[in-house]
Amino acid sequence: MEKIREKYAIVGVGESNRSKNSGVTPLELALEAARAALADAGLEAKDIDGFMSYSEMDSCNPHQVATYLGVRPKVVKEMFGGGSSTELLIAEAIGLIETGQANTVLIFRSMNGRSGVRMGGGGFSIDALQNGFDGGSFIIPYGAGSPGQWFGLFATRHMHLNGLTQEHLGHVCTSFYEHAQRNPKAFFYGKPLTMEEYMSTAHLSSPFTKHDYCLESDEANAIIVTSTERAKDCKSVPVKILGMAAREVVSHAHYWKNIDEVAADYVAPRLYENAGVSPEDIKVASIYDCFSWVVLRQLEAYGLVPKGEVGDFVSAGNLRMDGKLPTNTAGGMLSEGYTHGMNNVLEIVRQVRREYEGTERQVKDTELAICTGWTGPDVAGAMILCK
Amino acid sequence: MKEETKVIYEKPIPLKNTYNAPYWDAADRHELNVQKCNTCSNYNHPPGPSCANCGSIDVFWENLGSTITGEVYTYIVSNRPFLPGFQNELPTVIAVVQLEEYPDIKIIGNVLHGNTETVSIGTKVKMVWIEATEERAIPQWVMV
Ligand SMILES: [Zn+2]
Repeated sequence: MEKIREKYAIVGVGESNRSKNSGVTPLELALEAARAALADAGLEAKDIDGFMSYSEMDSCNPHQVATYLGVRPKVVKEMFGGGSSTELLIAEAIGLIETGQANTVLIFRSMNGRSGVRMGGGGFSIDALQNGFDGGSFIIPYGAGSPGQWFGLFATRHMHLNGLTQEHLGHVCTSFYEHAQRNPKAFFYGKPLTMEEYMSTAHLSSPFTKHDYCLESDEANAIIVTSTERAKDCKSVPVKILGMAAREVVSHAHYWKNIDEVAADYVAPRLYENAGVSPEDIKVASIYDCFSWVVLRQLEAYGLVPKGEVGDFVSAGNLRMDGKLPTNTAGGMLSEGYTHGMNNVLEIVRQVRREYEGTERQVKDTELAICTGWTGPDVAGAMILCK
Repeated sequence: MKEETKVIYEKPIPLKNTYNAPYWDAADRHELNVQKCNTCSNYNHPPGPSCANCGSIDVFWENLGSTITGEVYTYIVSNRPFLPGFQNELPTVIAVVQLEEYPDIKIIGNVLHGNTETVSIGTKVKMVWIEATEERAIPQWVMV
């Protein structure tokens, strides 16, 4: 990975309209996001020769998107599952370009995540849950049918061992909701959250209140990856990929066996080695936030905060704009929107480009940025970006 | 004809398959059966086609009997039913229980009649079996 440092870049980002009920198909959302990313990069659809996406039987496929953009690409690829799939597909795109199989790749995630298939539980058949998960028969009969419950099992123990409290989760939520107030496109724009309000909200499933869950929205995001060399032909400011660890998997992937380790613990050392930087160098972050606690656990895993100090770190306001590590500055999936991780990638690209210069949304120091993906405790990926 | 009491069990009943059938068959007899690896001596729960620790195919089933105790390793208290049958039993405590005599084994279940006040990490529990149908029984946990 060292030899491709700064050799590849994200040159275009775009999104569709974000809503509770899009009234259109995921294909139309994907086309809207793809056209926006192309316009952002100053490219035409025919310049894209690779189309990729990830989904969970809730989307359109990249072949369709290429077709309805009028393109005959060299490569189409889709994969099942999200969370850290953006990072994985970026790595795949780099591999294809590096080996001459493609020049410029568009990656998208499109979903009617609110009006269509919902991730939050209730959307899947019980048989599918029991048969679909390895070990499903050992959790579903006990009522554990929602990611919030599965991740909560990890959270309860980790918080117990590390002195983390409800208030620490609250600092993640209130910081991200605060960011959303600067983002008119955020779902919870105009809906700030105070710590008092947070602390008086009941648990849906401990230790999580509704604020600790990511939201569900209808939207699509797209990003365009090409070589730094070819990026010179684009009109956008390229955001270079300094290093990545596309995906790591914990050996035993069942949800409760290895509850004290997560895949991000294994991604981190490889990530920094590939990028040639240290966690202390990182100035701004997009941390996958399907649940508030996932952010705390990743701050620790990626060495952004020393183990045991994560609670104090967030309490001191360090995830906020004037903190040591402004994080999820568009509001994250807790309060901006939810595309299975990709909206956080769009925001970090815009921060590194300094697209918000002159406004209160621009983070002061964006020299080195981290972007993490979390498919679950068992699977993770991350990348480090720079201008 | 005298009418008999019917037990109505609305919650999902474990689906048996190639890998888990020995576990659930034992549960129906109110016994705990756990897969173990002959090569590395680790217990494998959930069970699979080979050892999730070392990959060995030399795995077998060990019957641990009907007296199973453990302590809560981690847990959640769910106030919302995400699956059918749980709406009448809220809050639902879902716990990962570490077995007292076999700390390598962790088994998920509900701590019956538990709540935020009574269950925490370290709470001592023992396994009981709830009759779901005439043929099927579900292992559960109660506080001791
Ligand atoms: Zn083994």
